[in-house]
Amino acid sequence: MKLIQMTKTSSFSLISTNKIIQINNVWTSYDSKNFALEGINLSIDRGTNYAIVGQSGSGKSTLLKLMNGMMIPSQGTIKIDYVTPNMNNKKFKHMMHTIGYIPQSLGLVKNITVIENIMIGALPRLNKIESMFKRFPEHEINEAKRIISLVGLTGKEERKAYMLSGGEKRRVAIARALMQKPTILLADEIVSELDHVTAREIMNLIAEAQKRMNLTAIMVHHDMQLALEYANRVAVIKEGQKILEIGVEGDKIVDFQTGDLNTEEIMEMYDDSKK
Amino acid sequence: MTPKNNIVIGIIIALVFVASYNVDANPIEFVEGLPNLAIVVEEMFSVEPKYIPTALWAMFETIQMAFIGTVVGTAIALPLSMLAARNLNSKYVYAPVRALLAAIRTFPSILWAILFVIMVGLGTFAGVLAIVMYTVGFVAKLQYEAIETIDSDPMDAVSSIGVSKWQLVRYVVIPESASHLLSQILYMFDYNVRQTSILGLVGAGGIGFYIINYIKFFEYGKAAVFMLVVLVTVLFIDWVSVKIRDKYIIKSQHGMEVTTK
Repeated sequence: MKLIQMTKTSSFSLISTNKIIQINNVWTSYDSKNFALEGINLSIDRGTNYAIVGQSGSGKSTLLKLMNGMMIPSQGTIKIDYVTPNMNNKKFKHMMHTIGYIPQSLGLVKNITVIENIMIGALPRLNKIESMFKRFPEHEINEAKRIISLVGLTGKEERKAYMLSGGEKRRVAIARALMQKPTILLADEIVSELDHVTAREIMNLIAEAQKRMNLTAIMVHHDMQLALEYANRVAVIKEGQKILEIGVEGDKIVDFQTGDLNTEEIMEMYDDSKK
Repeated sequence: MTPKNNIVIGIIIALVFVASYNVDANPIEFVEGLPNLAIVVEEMFSVEPKYIPTALWAMFETIQMAFIGTVVGTAIALPLSMLAARNLNSKYVYAPVRALLAAIRTFPSILWAILFVIMVGLGTFAGVLAIVMYTVGFVAKLQYEAIETIDSDPMDAVSSIGVSKWQLVRYVVIPESASHLLSQILYMFDYNVRQTSILGLVGAGGIGFYIINYIKFFEYGKAAVFMLVVLVTVLFIDWVSVKIRDKYIIKSQHGMEVTTK
């Protein structure tokens, strides 16, 4: 009992000092009447595997775009490592390359090769002139090859991106993000169109990279089961509002308001939220 | 067919009649002129084969002019198209570049040819310059439109990594619009060969110089040889570009081989 208390206090002290993402009362709107997000609060610890779950149109992709600086909130504040994400913010521009973003569409350049797509992740730290001629330093090529073998694309380096299967394309997008040497990885429904087996393969890949590189991974899903399997924390978004936030430790699930819950109760609550 | 449609069609037909009256477009004259056409055609059939070598040489010259014009024109057009694309620049950059390109396109190549004949004198060089100008105006327009239709997903994803603008151009814009560019170069070359064939009319070199002179002296048989060579060449170039298009362009756009019937 004492031990549990101690770990709890220590983890709480970590929470207070180690917030990499802080979102306070954020509202966004596409026009003056319709809000995509309505007063969202989130704070995410460094190194967390965080999942955001919700139905389509709930505002979960918007949340990722806000963290990436591609969208600006109409109200409220967002801090990534104490910097406001905004394409016009000079401070944020310098840290953009540390945020790996994988959109739902993946955003691959289809007419260039796998390795060139992955090299794009390294571009911000490469020589501007040399990169125009696609000349890369030896150690960056080795890094790319290491990541290619990590994501299981060895032998397909010279394939054009349009020739790849859906699963392979996702591997390339992950590799490009990892090539950025990111501290944060944002992924928008990266496995939702894949079959069960491939989806698990891709998720395992990210989980492994996340642990190895001490990444803060924020992944958007519409599949609650998947989120519970991989994330340490899950937030459920419905109609632009956070309706539930839970912690996952192995099989144990902690609701921060009501105490411990089991998976079935969570699934039930989630199913209810769809109605 | 609604009554409203009938009225619109009626108005259009009426406008055609009014305009024809204004510009003296009289179908009766056309019918009366048909016998004259018969004379020209009859004379054209008395082709003189001994002019074929001259015609082929003139055609070769024409093709070379079109080739230089297309390559140089495209090389100038490419950077301009990057500057004119709305998804890459602020309006202070693209608006003046677009205005310049629109001004270049205002003149047909034959007017450019007249201008360059005055500048650099009679001959093929004036023709080459005219083709360069025409190509710049059109390839740049077609290409910036192609750049603007590039899928915004890779553009957004790559810019969110924090790459420089020229890196974005090199790694996303050029590869994603390359197949359009190849298609436009082929079309432009095809079109330039036909255009260069008539630039001779204003003394800017090429096969048109022979055609216009033989027609002036009513030597339709000789002119026919040259016109036939132009026809065959244009058909040949058209056939070749279809082959290239099938092999490289459609494949890269859809990621598969094209089976043609």
